[in-house]
Amino acid sequence: MKEWQIEMRSQSGLITGLLFSVVTVYAISFATLNAKLPGTVIAGLLWIALLFSGAASLPRIFLAEEEQGTADLLRLVARPHAVFWGKSIFNCLQAVVTGLILSFLYIGFTSKAVSVPWLFTVCIAMGSLSLAGAVTLCGAIAAQAANRSVLSAAIAVPLLLPLVALGVSGLRVALNDGAISDGYVAAVGLTGYAFATLATGPYIFAAVWKT
Amino acid sequence: MIGWVGGIVITSKDYTADIPEKLLTVDKLGKKYGGRWIFRGISFQLGVGDRLVILGRNGAGKSTLLKTIAGLTSRTEGAVAFPDGDSRHVLGLCALEQSVYGQLTVEEHLQLTADLRGCPARVDELLQQVNLDYARTRAASQLSTGMKARLKLAMAIQPDPFVLLLDEPGAGLDEEGRNLVEKITADQAKRGCLIVATNDPLERRLANLELQLV
Repeated sequence: MKEWQIEMRSQSGLITGLLFSVVTVYAISFATLNAKLPGTVIAGLLWIALLFSGAASLPRIFLAEEEQGTADLLRLVARPHAVFWGKSIFNCLQAVVTGLILSFLYIGFTSKAVSVPWLFTVCIAMGSLSLAGAVTLCGAIAAQAANRSVLSAAIAVPLLLPLVALGVSGLRVALNDGAISDGYVAAVGLTGYAFATLATGPYIFAAVWKT
Repeated sequence: MIGWVGGIVITSKDYTADIPEKLLTVDKLGKKYGGRWIFRGISFQLGVGDRLVILGRNGAGKSTLLKTIAGLTSRTEGAVAFPDGDSRHVLGLCALEQSVYGQLTVEEHLQLTADLRGCPARVDELLQQVNLDYARTRAASQLSTGMKARLKLAMAIQPDPFVLLLDEPGAGLDEEGRNLVEKITADQAKRGCLIVATNDPLERRLANLELQLV
């Protein structure tokens, strides 16, 4: 609730994400104007946009608490699980909303037909959830370090590589470029990834929160 | 003098040995940072009515000691024990370097900390107590330093903690604010114990125990 109140008054995260989405979609559409791109390339470009949109805003939720000096107040009054879930739920909502808007804008601008709409939606939604879970956790782990931004990015790279591979694989199939069985595997993999990061996150966070 | 531990002098003004209940036990507490001991071998016990003031020059480790006792900074050695119960309910801390959320109003802060602690918010009562009722709907970013200090005091005493830790409580406060701190410390001594870290000679009078960090 606190995250929601602060976001509604500052609107920094949502506006950053949406502006980034519009600019990215515009840039990619302009660069590929009149080009006939295969589904794999479109899926890859879309995931790059999703990744950078999320990486730009999602880890801030924990890093900002340390930078503004409010983290100690939370440590004094809150259980680690409450802090983790409060911030994760907010980040997940933000990531899914931004991800869906970005994706449909992108598809609209590139005029690429989505041949398997349910797979496309599942890949974007679960991919955004996974991205939010992983990036939030990285931000939480790195928040107390002196060089927190660099550390957060460094931890995120190995976590995000399999996520990007699964996401591109699923979207490629949804855009009519691959076997549907690969799409099922990607959808199940992304769903599992989202649950894994969100299920283990509170325990990892609890271990680092008061150290 | 009631103790000498690892370069720390503990003196007493009117110390009574028969304290019925130990609310805070600090045992051989030490904190090392960057290869240097900030403090080491600090041991004391506080019970109901004890008011300990921690004195020391700038950089002596007063604030770090308070944060270590509160569990906000890891300790290198030693132990800190509170009575059984959730530390969110038994401990209150008001620190100079603690920040508040600029976008939240005064009353939203108190509601937030109450929700997270799982204790009654007591917004009206606390705001009247710290004389901040007139600014209850004002965003924290619009508060003066002294008003923020009052808000932090209100959040610290919200759960009626057994142990109240105050770091430079008079900093940024006017005369009325200082009187308020004095009243809060007197009230705290009736239900629990208090530790004040300060360099202000006037705030020494808040305490009946002194600990000098050297």
